[in-house]
Amino acid sequence: MAELIHFEDFRAGQIFELGTYKVTAEEIVAFAREYDPQPMHVDEEAARQSIMGELIASGWHTCAIAMRLLVDGLFNRSTSIGGVSVDDARWHKPVRPDDTLRGRAEVIGVRQSSKGGRGFVNFKCEFFRGDDKVLTFTTWPIFATRG
Amino acid sequence: MYLEDIPLGQRIVIGAHTFTEEAIMDFARKYDPQPFHVDRAAAAKSPYGGIIASGWQTAAVWMKLMVAYLHDNVSAERALSGFVSPGFREMRWFKPVRPGMTLTYSTENIAKLDWKPRPELGLLEARNEARDENNELMMSFIGRVLIPRKPKT
Repeated sequence: MAELIHFEDFRAGQIFELGTYKVTAEEIVAFAREYDPQPMHVDEEAARQSIMGELIASGWHTCAIAMRLLVDGLFNRSTSIGGVSVDDARWHKPVRPDDTLRGRAEVIGVRQSSKGGRGFVNFKCEFFRGDDKVLTFTTWPIFATRG
Repeated sequence: MYLEDIPLGQRIVIGAHTFTEEAIMDFARKYDPQPFHVDRAAAAKSPYGGIIASGWQTAAVWMKLMVAYLHDNVSAERALSGFVSPGFREMRWFKPVRPGMTLTYSTENIAKLDWKPRPELGLLEARNEARDENNELMMSFIGRVLIPRKPKT
């Protein structure tokens, strides 16, 4: 197993490419039935009558998929011990069945924690379908240090 | 319902939700498979001392309760159309949510803003919260939803 990425390894300007995630209609409906059962998320027919005019993923589902890309592409390869905040989240475009999303995280700041043994890293996270941004946010996960 | 008709400054409880370990691990296996969400042994050795819920699940449960609340409290016609949000800001996860905890969720409309891309709509901002059984704040964020403005006559 490759060595884990620790807090000390992060530098402003680093970019992590996060891989891809294929979204299915079945998954869009399953997530929405549990967490966001609005007509445009749970039923093709009702979605056509809705404000969006077609079946689209819940924005919270898009966030959950973004998290999966971050976890597989970065957090589970590092000493991540969780996050405390997300800022300026924007759903730029709807996510539809059969979209393939890809993610990228850029380090925009690092800050040692007063607790010691850990630090915060600020990421600008962007998620795309092709060249179109579908979701962006910034976040401050916590990483353990080597010491 | 127009933006102009919506009052600001009243906090409304929209519902409560109990987080089971099964649902926490099921969500996390799909969307947030970090060891402290999906692996009891690893979670016990983590700074949290046990399994905790993904923050994204705590947020998604807000949506679940909000949809149910709107279903019961706005017109069927409005609910069938659905609500559109351009995003949210200032999501904060203050304390870990553990299996068996029941959180009470609330919302308070705090601002009405212009929405330049579509001037016939306005942006309603609400501060949303989840609190535990001891009324401790566990999560908050500022949600944003687009609402039609009253047509100018």
